[in-house]
Amino acid sequence: MEPLVLPGTLDALSLIRQFVREAAGQAGLAQQAAYDLQLAVDEIATNIVIHGYEESGIGGDIRVEADLNPERLAITLEDSAPAFDPRGLVTAAARLLDAPLSERPVGGLGIFLTEQKMDGFEYEYRQGHNRNRFIMRRPGGKGLAP
Amino acid sequence: MAFNVNLEMKGTEAHLTLSGELDAASAGVLKGTVEQAAGNNPAKLVMHMQDLSFMASAGLRVLIFAKQKMGEKVGITLIGCQAPVRSTLEMSGFHHSVYLQDAE
Repeated sequence: MEPLVLPGTLDALSLIRQFVREAAGQAGLAQQAAYDLQLAVDEIATNIVIHGYEESGIGGDIRVEADLNPERLAITLEDSAPAFDPRGLVTAAARLLDAPLSERPVGGLGIFLTEQKMDGFEYEYRQGHNRNRFIMRRPGGKGLAP
Repeated sequence: MAFNVNLEMKGTEAHLTLSGELDAASAGVLKGTVEQAAGNNPAKLVMHMQDLSFMASAGLRVLIFAKQKMGEKVGITLIGCQAPVRSTLEMSGFHHSVYLQDAE
């Protein structure tokens, strides 16, 4: 699949999900796994748009890539917003899961769902770009080659 | 598929019918409709979820908002959630705060 490059606005979200659905279909992911992947990518993409670009007052693109091998599908989101590692929010969100609704942290829940459901998740900041990588094992895939 | 929500009052019950995908881009539309429903002082909020194919955490936040807006006395029932949406609700602990009902 050709990479998708979109302006980093909320309008990009549905197109990004559509891209992920197509990639998941090509990878032969089961329905729930395909949904989980869509959800995880959507949550991080949302954070990129709102916290990365909008709140910092800068604009930029989001680039989505799909990389398929016999073992797994990897989706990469790349943006040029200020460096942000989403993995720090996971612990905070998980601790508060049993708390009354009103006390839930706002941004962390989506990232918590990502951590739970992905077979792999990687983050790096490289050459001015955040790169978030979501990995899902393919049915019949034996291991997780990076 | 684009998000859509309809509000219908049936006596003191506010019925919302959702369709499409609920994400950060469309959550504001649902929030506005919940506010509209709250203005009718319903005894109960019922959300028909059969045609909602996707729900991000932004959707969960609107449910939190609905709960706070309607008050503790107004029960919120979600009917016919698709399996992945239901899974998200259960994983996030929302099944303790809203009633989950199978499709009629």
